[in-house]
Amino acid sequence: MSNRHEQEKKQFKRLFQQQGVDRFDDRFQVLEAFLKLEHHVTRKDVSRQLKEDGIHLPDGFVTDSMEHLCRFGFASRVDFDSGEDVFYEHLHLGVHHDHMVCVKCSAILEFKDEALEILQKKMADAHGFYMLQHKMEIYGLCSQCMANRKTQVPLHKAKPGEKLIVKELAAGKNMQLRISSMGLKIGDPIEVVSNGFGGQVVIAAGENRLVIGSGMAQKIWVQSVDRGPALGIHDAGGIKETSHEAFMSLSQMKAGQEATIVRVSGENQLRRRLLEMGINRGAIIYVEKYAPLKDPLELVVKGYHLSLRVEEAADILVENVKTKKR
Amino acid sequence: MKKNLTIALAGNPNCGKTTIFNNLTGARQKVGNWPGVTVEKKEGRLGHGDYDIKVVDLPGTYSLTPFSIEEITARDFIIDNAPDIVINIIDASNLERSLFLALQIRELGRPVLFVLNMADMAQAKGIKIDEKKLSALLDLPVVFTIGNKNKGINTLVEAAIQEVKSFNQKQSFRTIRYGNEIEGCISKIEAALRLTKIENEDVLIRWKAMKILEDDKIIKEKILAQLLEKKTDILAQVVSCRSRIYDLFQDDFEIVLTDDRYGVIAGIVKETVTNLAIKRIDISRKIDLVLTDRFFGIPVFIFFIWAMFQLTFTLGAYPMGWIETCVGFLSTGLDGMMAQSMLKSLLLDGVLAGIGSVVVFLPNILILFFCIALFEDTGYMARAAFLMDRVMHTAGLHGKSFIPMLMGFGCNVPAIMATRTLENDKDRILTILMTPFMSCSARLPVYIILAGSFFAHKAGTVIFCLYLAGIIMAILSGRILRVLLFKGEDAPFVMELPPYRMPMLKSLLIHMWDRSKMFLKKMGGVILVGSIIIWVLSSFPKNISYSRDYDTLAANRSAQYLMKIKSADKDAATKLVLARTVELKSIENQKEQERISKSYIGMIGKGLEPLFKPIGIDWRASVALVTGFVAKEVVVSTMGVLYGVGKEGGKALETALKSSGMTPLSALSMMVFVLLYVPCFATVMAIYRESSAKWACFNVVYTTMVAWSMSFLVYQAGMILLG
Repeated sequence: MSNRHEQEKKQFKRLFQQQGVDRFDDRFQVLEAFLKLEHHVTRKDVSRQLKEDGIHLPDGFVTDSMEHLCRFGFASRVDFDSGEDVFYEHLHLGVHHDHMVCVKCSAILEFKDEALEILQKKMADAHGFYMLQHKMEIYGLCSQCMANRKTQVPLHKAKPGEKLIVKELAAGKNMQLRISSMGLKIGDPIEVVSNGFGGQVVIAAGENRLVIGSGMAQKIWVQSVDRGPALGIHDAGGIKETSHEAFMSLSQMKAGQEATIVRVSGENQLRRRLLEMGINRGAIIYVEKYAPLKDPLELVVKGYHLSLRVEEAADILVENVKTKKR
Repeated sequence: MKKNLTIALAGNPNCGKTTIFNNLTGARQKVGNWPGVTVEKKEGRLGHGDYDIKVVDLPGTYSLTPFSIEEITARDFIIDNAPDIVINIIDASNLERSLFLALQIRELGRPVLFVLNMADMAQAKGIKIDEKKLSALLDLPVVFTIGNKNKGINTLVEAAIQEVKSFNQKQSFRTIRYGNEIEGCISKIEAALRLTKIENEDVLIRWKAMKILEDDKIIKEKILAQLLEKKTDILAQVVSCRSRIYDLFQDDFEIVLTDDRYGVIAGIVKETVTNLAIKRIDISRKIDLVLTDRFFGIPVFIFFIWAMFQLTFTLGAYPMGWIETCVGFLSTGLDGMMAQSMLKSLLLDGVLAGIGSVVVFLPNILILFFCIALFEDTGYMARAAFLMDRVMHTAGLHGKSFIPMLMGFGCNVPAIMATRTLENDKDRILTILMTPFMSCSARLPVYIILAGSFFAHKAGTVIFCLYLAGIIMAILSGRILRVLLFKGEDAPFVMELPPYRMPMLKSLLIHMWDRSKMFLKKMGGVILVGSIIIWVLSSFPKNISYSRDYDTLAANRSAQYLMKIKSADKDAATKLVLARTVELKSIENQKEQERISKSYIGMIGKGLEPLFKPIGIDWRASVALVTGFVAKEVVVSTMGVLYGVGKEGGKALETALKSSGMTPLSALSMMVFVLLYVPCFATVMAIYRESSAKWACFNVVYTTMVAWSMSFLVYQAGMILLG
């Protein structure tokens, strides 16, 4: 690491002198202070470090210097949705990583996974998209916050995207009746679609979307489906096993694989036609085979056989891909 | 007094609807068009007790959205014609998807009867449906049938009559409720529509509210036209509802509603279907292991096509011979019975020759259409489209276009009618324009004569190459036209691969007959008129000044022979008699040839000669080509007359052609021209009916240009190569 830092410093000298940036020595101090700090730092952190080193520079100058560092590629700015502060992190050329941000304690974890990088490239290729760069941030609860969290929470506190199980209906008889008339009962798996629009919670229960008022949501107690860290997170090593929940497009599936449909995108007419034929969210599809000339492909959905062109299949996003012998 | 009832049959494609329709009505059916659109309409009648029942077969659809003509047609019929009952035929082994259409039909507010067809197949798959529960849940009667075994048809009719009787006494109509947000929007618009009092029936108001919310252009326009001043108010409400749904679900109202429908359906299926899962025999899958296999799929497909052609043309040759004999017999009979007159000439050379030359192809057409019906009824057609989509797609067409294209080899007229299976208008018109390049069976006799005369042993190969050239031309044209005239997205290729089914002879025969009837109608009408026109053109003007006095010449020669015969001995006399007959015949033919060359048709042919010269076609052949516009099969008979061998054709025509100065190269050029030029009159009419006058005209001009250029290329290149 220190070897790399020495290199960076050398380059810094060369570049800043070439470009004729003023107050070179002062700026070099800023760089040194920045490099001493690890992970994600704010301008304040850098100033604090400078003070510790006995160097006094105005805040405006430090900010200005940090921007220069970003411009020449020694640091990179990271804006996370949660915080107000601008974070800087070291930018080592050719070294890339992604982030996990805890929405509760704002902890930031770095991770890197080759399979994910390849998948992203593949997704871009499948859409004929040439990828220049990408930014991947996973928002959620860090293992610490997760551990501190109560097992059961009222529905209105659940986060969007969370998969939950209904545990208790702490409501009067009338409210209970209303809830069950919507088709929701204890033990049902649900997924939070959105939360916060005027206190309303939108949930997906099976194939149905339900909108639950804030009053009702406070009375429905839910528990997270996959509690506890299912994925081993390591400091630098990233995620060990790749999740089988990864999304892919139907056109990438091989013959003999089965998957669940997540989303049908694309042009409206095609989308409706597909929906009418039974390719809707949550439906399970099986790729029977590809035609001899590799296009179209044959699927089994809802017990009948259907053929689709590969380009159309690219508009269908699937998850839970697994190979299945029939 | 018998009571009248109208029954509409609705259902998904491949659900056995046609079989039930055939079982209900037998042969008493009428095939026509739905008014204003090009969708086939089938109607039949049956008597049952006191009732005289009219059965209308609605087009097979998966949904009732306004995206295809079929769906709009089916929907409009149910709303506008208000049939007494809609019989919704459901593939019992495929309840979940079938219910999607079923729920939509039910929302139209007519009495509905559910028919769970192919109950035996469902049972074999281990699916058990609780029909009582299904009936209770949806508040309508449900019956089971096995269409191909003709089981349950009577129960179906009984139940239908019962439901019609009881429907009128029903107090309430249970509607299906969707998610709260969706229902909120529907009732809001419903209330607004109710205030305007444009509709009295409760059910239809709800339906119309849903349709406006779904942004169904057709219904929206209809309602808005009735609404007048309240229009803006309702429209504003619709927009706010739609945007509310979009905000909540990040999706359009119609998509959310579709999702909701599947939610309801999943509930119904969960309640009524038990999966016994004894043994899941999926014979179709096993068959497909071979038929759509990566390696065997295409060879097997080619084999089927080859077998179909072998059957059509080899087996068809026998009845063809019999018909030829019959026609010959008839014309000899007429010849003997009638005195020499204008009428006789008209009947013999015009009517009989014309009809005879077409009836001859009836066996071919029957066999071909039988094979195609077999492909369709077994479910192989969909596989053919599946196998060929990649190829068709390179021509800018849809895999389904392959079916009409394939039928084009039989006859372009039904082929163009078959383009109706294509949902997208662009694809349809493109397929219609390409189909005439498929060498129809009427063009085959031309190839047989020409290739037979000039390529003898290689005739088969030459003809095969011609067919292939037609296909290549079609693909090239498809690509070019797609780029030039039909820019934009291709239609989605979403097609069901139905399970393989044992074909039923009755249904095969009905299919075969329906299509052959079309061919016969074309013959009866257009071709007869065409033959008469040609006869007129070739028989007039009457008073021709011949270059030689053939009659006197014939009389002189005859007298000379008579003298010789008298003085000769017995053996020599016999030889002389034979020689006399030959010579007299040849004089007669020479006379006929000169007469025709000076007739109107000869004048036309000679007028066009400069055009045809660069492609190596002489005036007689060009006259034949002109007459080919009436029907391609006429080309051969015209050539027969023009090359002075009379209407017999056959071997005599071959010899005449060889001695006429035609070379193998010019014969090839002519065959290419016949392959590609203007399709026959009936085809042009079919194009006009299925698309528009504009496209019909375009087709005439386009094909002629292509034909001339290709023939020019072939002839000139050949001339250079051969020196």
